[in-house]
Amino acid sequence: MAKKSSITPYLFLAPAMIVIAVFFLYPIVAVFYYSFTDYNIVTPPQWIGLKNYQVLMRDAIFWQALSHSLVYLLVTPVLIFLSTILAIVVNRRLPGINAFRALFFIPVISGSIAVGIAWRLMLDTNGIINGLLISLGVLAEPFQWLAEPALTLPIAMLLTIWLGVGYYMMIFLAGLQNISEELYDAALIDGCNGWQKHWHVSIPGLRPQITFVAVISSLAALQVFNEIFTLTGGLGGILNSGVTLVFYLWRQAFRLNHAGMASAIAVVLLVITLIFSITNIRFLERGTQAD
Amino acid sequence: MRTKLLTVLILAGLLLGACAPAAPVVTPETIVETVMVESTTVVEKTTVVEKIVEVTPTPGPNPEAVIQGVEPDAEIGLWTFWLSPTFDDYIKDTIARFEQTYPGVKVNWEDHQATFQDDLRNSFAAGNAPDVINLSISEGWVSDYASQGLLYPLDDAVPQEVKGVYFSNLWDQQVVDGAHYQFPWYQGIQVNLVNRQIYDQTGLTIEDFPKTVDGLPALCETIKETTGTLCDIRLTVNDLLAQMTYEGGVQVINEDGTAFTFDSPEAVAWLQMYVDMVKAGTVDRTVLVTDQDRVGLDLFTSGKAAFYNTGPNLVREVRANNPGLYGYLAVVPAPVGKSGVVGKGLMAMSVKKDTPFPNASMALAQFFTNPQSMLDFSKIVAIYPSTPASYDDPFFSAAPVAIEDSAKPYAKDSVSKLADIVPSIPNKADVNNIVLQAVQQALFNNVDPQTALTDAVAQANALLP
Repeated sequence: MAKKSSITPYLFLAPAMIVIAVFFLYPIVAVFYYSFTDYNIVTPPQWIGLKNYQVLMRDAIFWQALSHSLVYLLVTPVLIFLSTILAIVVNRRLPGINAFRALFFIPVISGSIAVGIAWRLMLDTNGIINGLLISLGVLAEPFQWLAEPALTLPIAMLLTIWLGVGYYMMIFLAGLQNISEELYDAALIDGCNGWQKHWHVSIPGLRPQITFVAVISSLAALQVFNEIFTLTGGLGGILNSGVTLVFYLWRQAFRLNHAGMASAIAVVLLVITLIFSITNIRFLERGTQAD
Repeated sequence: MRTKLLTVLILAGLLLGACAPAAPVVTPETIVETVMVESTTVVEKTTVVEKIVEVTPTPGPNPEAVIQGVEPDAEIGLWTFWLSPTFDDYIKDTIARFEQTYPGVKVNWEDHQATFQDDLRNSFAAGNAPDVINLSISEGWVSDYASQGLLYPLDDAVPQEVKGVYFSNLWDQQVVDGAHYQFPWYQGIQVNLVNRQIYDQTGLTIEDFPKTVDGLPALCETIKETTGTLCDIRLTVNDLLAQMTYEGGVQVINEDGTAFTFDSPEAVAWLQMYVDMVKAGTVDRTVLVTDQDRVGLDLFTSGKAAFYNTGPNLVREVRANNPGLYGYLAVVPAPVGKSGVVGKGLMAMSVKKDTPFPNASMALAQFFTNPQSMLDFSKIVAIYPSTPASYDDPFFSAAPVAIEDSAKPYAKDSVSKLADIVPSIPNKADVNNIVLQAVQQALFNNVDPQTALTDAVAQANALLP
């Protein structure tokens, strides 16, 4: 019998591989190269070796940005918690429940830029938040929310949570609907009340979804940019209070014309993201295996 | 018999007569004598007949075609900054006029807005930057790109009589290593738009508005006490050294460019003024350090600020977005800083260094900035020409009608005094970033201004070549 040609599968894979190579692999390799150069985009790059990384390690703002990015990861457990609760709440056969599901999903499709601008206007000194608080007697005069360094990052994190909770709610809702009703019946028979059945049945049943949401939401948190940019008007917050790694990368590349330094930041971010993702997955999967 | 014979004889005779050649006619001799006869025409009077003769003139050189050697069949790109769609008709009409003036040259126009700088840098990197570029003088873009060798030097290429078309103070801006790289385009005059709905509550008159920058803290104090409103004042966070120079009269770098000097007593005094305003709570801190001018303008347009420093050309934003406020506007000249110089130029046209059509590109840049084009532009928006000849038009001597035209009577004088007094700064973006961090430490983190600026000088000096 003639041996089948082994080239056919590769021919089918070729278009996708070409796209991946051009739009993913080449940029990654290019970023690695540029991280070892002094490059301002308009003139050719010049090789400088590890100088960008050395400067980065001594840069106080880089460490500040890194700490902000790690703090930003706190949105992940909050998102998981809130999304799970919402998914349990809307996972009922009630009249009009679909309307609630749609309402919770609206922030997801609104776009982070538009929502960020709306939040900036609401939190403005003369915005609706101050107006409401003054009319209720909570404030005597307008408070400059976005000019308080201590509040910049928490406000951005709140915005991220508001934007993402509907999306993750849908993921958990799908997961809940895959859990067999018999398990809930068994829990009722065993004497579980409402929240206990969710703790002992729903949460364990949602572990694959929790793993998935934990990974993608933490990746999104590490790469946050839109919320910071729209809320701080491109400054990154007073005293760099809202500067995260990606925002600092943007500032180096497009405000200071240091594409080489920005590439070095990107490489550092890539390493952090990889370590974090692998650790996350192994930790959560170990828990699944233990069950 | 006899009759027949006679008939035959007669017929023969007739026949012979018809066939015989004509015998010469002998006439008597004719004597021809030429006689000169003087003919006299009696003219009663001289009649002058006026007749209108239409003469089609031989086509001569267009007076606007001042650049010679324009490449035939050149196709050149033009980028403008934030002019579309409001000024589409003006740009297209000017391009059409240019293409008639220089037949054979085709212009491809694009307008870029918020992403202009990013788009331009990317286009230079990709090798497809436009031939003619509208660059901001006020933001220092001409010197930025010229110092990277990306712009075409004009000194030897532009005839002296063409250079003389412009105000000399504007022509001499953004010079890099002694070379000129820009044709001055439309200019702005810094004014303060005043919201009389808020301002009048202070009890002050428009004439009481401060003439100098150091009068602003007291005004802001008064506004806050009487109206509860914060001042809408903005630091130019992308060019703090320039603001320090104009407002504070600060020398930011020494004469030979070997050390920064922006920690001098003048610089500390300038920074202390803003620190005091922040501590007194009289300024909106978000607007103070935003890098987007529109944030401050939007706050004023919403009717929540007593005044805002901008150009008269942006009054149209107020008219478009808050017509109710438009009726309560007043315009006053912007306060002058310790330098005594009101400001520097606004916009320019430059040519890219490696354009394949340098003469056509210079012709386009010069055409947009010539007196006629400048005058046409001034008539549709409150900007001001960079060419003295434009101000001879009755448009500028006519009394202003709309609030946007308030600056017209003194526009020529103001524009003629604009000057770029900021020296060339090496690694300007990095130095500005260092200054910005220091300014924020002083404004918001209780760091002493002297300490903040001295630390910044040390960091900036490390960047000097």
